[in-house]
Amino acid sequence: MLHSRKLLFSAAFLVATSLSPLAFAQDFDPDATVNIGSLYEPQNLDNTAGAGQGINEAFNGNVYEALFRLTDDGKVEPVLASDTKVSDDGLTYTFNLREGVSFHSGEPLTSADVKASIERVTAEASKSSRKKSLATITGIETPDDRTVVVKLSQRSISLPYNLSYVWIVNDAAGDITAKEDGTGPYTLSEWRRGSALALERFDKYWGTKPSNEAAVFQYFTDATALSNALLTNAVDIVTSVQSPDALQQFSDNPEFTVSNGASTTKELLAYNDRVAPFDKIEVRKALARAVDKKRLLESIWGSYGQVIGSFVPPTDPWYVDLTNIDPYDPTGAKALLAKAGLANGFEFTLDTPDYDPHPIVAQFLQSELAKINVKVNLNIITANEWYTKIYQKHDFQATLQEHVNHRDIVFYGNPDFYWGYNNPKVVDLIAQSETAASEGEQTEKLKQANQIIAEEAASNWLYLYPQIVVSTTKVSGYPVNGLNAQFFVSGIRKAD
Amino acid sequence: MTIPADTAILSRKARSWTLVAGLALVGLHLVVALLTLVWTPFDPTELAGRRLEAPSLLHLAGTDRLGRDLLTQIMIGSRIALTVGTAAVAIGAVLGTTLGLLAAFASNWLDDALAAALDILIAFPTLLIAMLVVAASDGANLSTAILALGLGLSPIVARLARILAKRVLLMDYITAARTSGTSWPAIVRIHVLPNIWPGLSVNLALQFGLAVIAEASLSYLGLGAPPPNASWGRLLQEAQGTVFSAPIGAITPGIALVSLVIGINLLADGLRERNDPARSER
Repeated sequence: MLHSRKLLFSAAFLVATSLSPLAFAQDFDPDATVNIGSLYEPQNLDNTAGAGQGINEAFNGNVYEALFRLTDDGKVEPVLASDTKVSDDGLTYTFNLREGVSFHSGEPLTSADVKASIERVTAEASKSSRKKSLATITGIETPDDRTVVVKLSQRSISLPYNLSYVWIVNDAAGDITAKEDGTGPYTLSEWRRGSALALERFDKYWGTKPSNEAAVFQYFTDATALSNALLTNAVDIVTSVQSPDALQQFSDNPEFTVSNGASTTKELLAYNDRVAPFDKIEVRKALARAVDKKRLLESIWGSYGQVIGSFVPPTDPWYVDLTNIDPYDPTGAKALLAKAGLANGFEFTLDTPDYDPHPIVAQFLQSELAKINVKVNLNIITANEWYTKIYQKHDFQATLQEHVNHRDIVFYGNPDFYWGYNNPKVVDLIAQSETAASEGEQTEKLKQANQIIAEEAASNWLYLYPQIVVSTTKVSGYPVNGLNAQFFVSGIRKAD
Repeated sequence: MTIPADTAILSRKARSWTLVAGLALVGLHLVVALLTLVWTPFDPTELAGRRLEAPSLLHLAGTDRLGRDLLTQIMIGSRIALTVGTAAVAIGAVLGTTLGLLAAFASNWLDDALAAALDILIAFPTLLIAMLVVAASDGANLSTAILALGLGLSPIVARLARILAKRVLLMDYITAARTSGTSWPAIVRIHVLPNIWPGLSVNLALQFGLAVIAEASLSYLGLGAPPPNASWGRLLQEAQGTVFSAPIGAITPGIALVSLVIGINLLADGLRERNDPARSER
């Protein structure tokens, strides 16, 4: 009822405005400044120097472009590469560069810039989290200014995808941790550390002109302050809302739009699969069955989010619903523990990052696992401690973490990864998926790998976050899925 | 000028009211804290209800995000607050009094140095000192919080102890004790401590209130009692995100905290009036 009344009203409004002699040619202000509220301030401006996810949010596709890009609906499409040829053996990729592209400093884009940009990511000193996925590149040639030839040691079906997060930077730019020189539709106009990062339309941009003049990312450290900023119109959009309780004030208010998109962020209880008792499949499966994930999800996210039963989110092409492999079944969990020789339960330490939602999730797990006589001792640690103790030294029994990336099932094919899952069959499948000749074959291999990982309960995948963007009704045209933490601002329209 | 008799009676009544109200509030928390040792409405970690239930007969203060009973958590919070307060004040009292007496008895330059050092330490808020101690130790837990708060409180106690002790040391009976050959430890035990105690105890009661608030602040910042210990500060922190949809979760721990601190302050006020006959005669 309510909906149809709203529709009727807007229809009447449309008729009224179109009849008016003062009707607007366009319903948005092309010179507007869009204020974007975010919790993820970058540490620096270089995505290969440990800047955090915030730099991808602010710069990917806005300030820097790549040869390809991952669109908001998960497709890989060419940007600076105007066309791509792949040799029959799949080992040589020839990219032709788009004509008429120049950097913000005024220099034209050449193949040397592309070569230097890829080498920045694969360099020894690079801290890019995806460096390993470009390790198959053996050489880059630049026969002329418009052509880049990339040689591989083996087939790499994800190369275009992997190149989508390799920023093309002017090779003369030098250190880009505090300045930029990209080809994107915006230039960096000001960066006030601790508060905001301002982007301004680049007038010589080669592509479609942005539908706003400037975009300012305003950074907040507290979600409540961020919500208040939106309520008071200090910001127009909030890139991702982290609690369902902050939403009520917006969903009940006609001045705001709440979008519920697909995220790639997974909350998981990661065991150290190298150490007892988590080296036993029965124990891991028992813990998977002992946790009522639907209830946990509801506790954290209310009616938002999704339980997916594995590490693969629905936006990955190889997604399969695997929630039935280890459904909630405390009795079955006890039986599995008994089978593993732990009929009386056991005790373990859960290293819990000190920020939301991990402490509350940890308490839920503590309560659920107590029912099958498994005692969980919580050890609260900082993000830095997590990185050194767990990610680098692998010194832990179990931990909680959220993994934000798209297509990151490949981590299970790396036995040296922090969780230490090592099944040679999975390692092979994941390696073969990368050398597959077609996307169909790649998808097939990864589906098989995912099935095995889930059957062996390599980790305890608790839930998939929702991606919730809230804005005032004045703005539209923003991305709603936030894959790989990107937030393209070029299409955002703000009404007068 | 003489005060009319009826006013004096009224103010004495008011005074005894503060002591009684203080005792009642603190006593209530004490009883609840002791009760939690043997009984709570629910197991504190039990997911007893649905998410963010409103208060009902079953859950008198509602439930939290995980569906745990909030009344249970708040009751256990009383125990944690009183434990931390008592232990921190005990540490602060022992350390502070020792330092203060040392300064009072010391030669001029040592006294000056200690007094200056105490003044510098007092310039740092207790909470800041406590946060530094927690940060320097290996991980936050209840005992580091207690130690940190005790250390943070000690300069305040030390300064007061020093001033009170210096005043006592000027008295004739001290000179008499000295000339009769009483040892320093004996002078401290027989003359100084009993004489500074009334003033010091009132201050310690006030410090207790401060310690309770500081513990809640530390826990709110994630530096106090780690989950699942139900410290009021942590309950407040967890309720922060749901303050619009379920305000009761933030209100009840707030009331608990305020009632205990007000109770302690009233108690301290009442104690001061009783220990300070000069003032109560006024």
